[in-house]
Amino acid sequence: MSDTATTESVRGGGQGGPPTVRISVQTPRGVWSMTQPAGAPIRPEYEIATKVESVIADARSVFGFVENDSKYTLHFAGANLEPQRTLASYQIKDGSTLVLSVQGGNA
Amino acid sequence: MTVAAAVLEQVMGDVAAAAEYAAAAGLSFDASELSEERPVFYVAFSNRKSEMFHVEIRCDHYPKHPPTVEFVDADRKRRGTRDLYPACFHATPCVCARYNRKAYKAHGGPHEDWRLIDWMLPTSGGVAIRNLREIVSDLHGKIAESEGRLG
Repeated sequence: MSDTATTESVRGGGQGGPPTVRISVQTPRGVWSMTQPAGAPIRPEYEIATKVESVIADARSVFGFVENDSKYTLHFAGANLEPQRTLASYQIKDGSTLVLSVQGGNA
Repeated sequence: MTVAAAVLEQVMGDVAAAAEYAAAAGLSFDASELSEERPVFYVAFSNRKSEMFHVEIRCDHYPKHPPTVEFVDADRKRRGTRDLYPACFHATPCVCARYNRKAYKAHGGPHEDWRLIDWMLPTSGGVAIRNLREIVSDLHGKIAESEGRLG
């Protein structure tokens, strides 16, 4: 889990804290949001300075994408997001839906 | 229930999940021709240069056997030529993955070492692609980061 994704019992971004966004992530195994899937140990609420790679790692953990040989990419509004950039740098706001593509191998 | 009806029922469930993914990704998705006789749907993808690519996914005998994934033109009149393929795929031309029936030797592809019933196994170490939503995601990821066409 990344440093900034929230657990069910801990929520960041309170009064006076760093700005946060609550997002949804569509993956090939379902949607990760503040309510889906039921029982997810972490929820996609992030400080806007969070790097894209942290969101990818969290989405992978929620849905059990354990294969390191595969390529995981987050997309937003038609763009492929660079792992080292922050959510804020892509103007990702509260309620935004990101898409995680997962590439299998090529023969 | 006939085999064709059972296939269609399965495909419709998986297509709904694939359509949800496509909607979130902003991909054009058309399952209006889906029927027992023709269990087929279409998805359009764009590459890094915003070139459009149109994919036909035909699901005969799904999920026992993998679908046939083929690139077509926007009018769906031409199919399977190199100019219709993104540069990221095999030069045959073919999407050379276990989830594509065209990749198997018996269907004109290069792989005589694969069996159709094993299509949900991983291809060359990547994550296993086991259903239509995962197929659409695999194509989306590969095409989105590619540039140019095969021909």
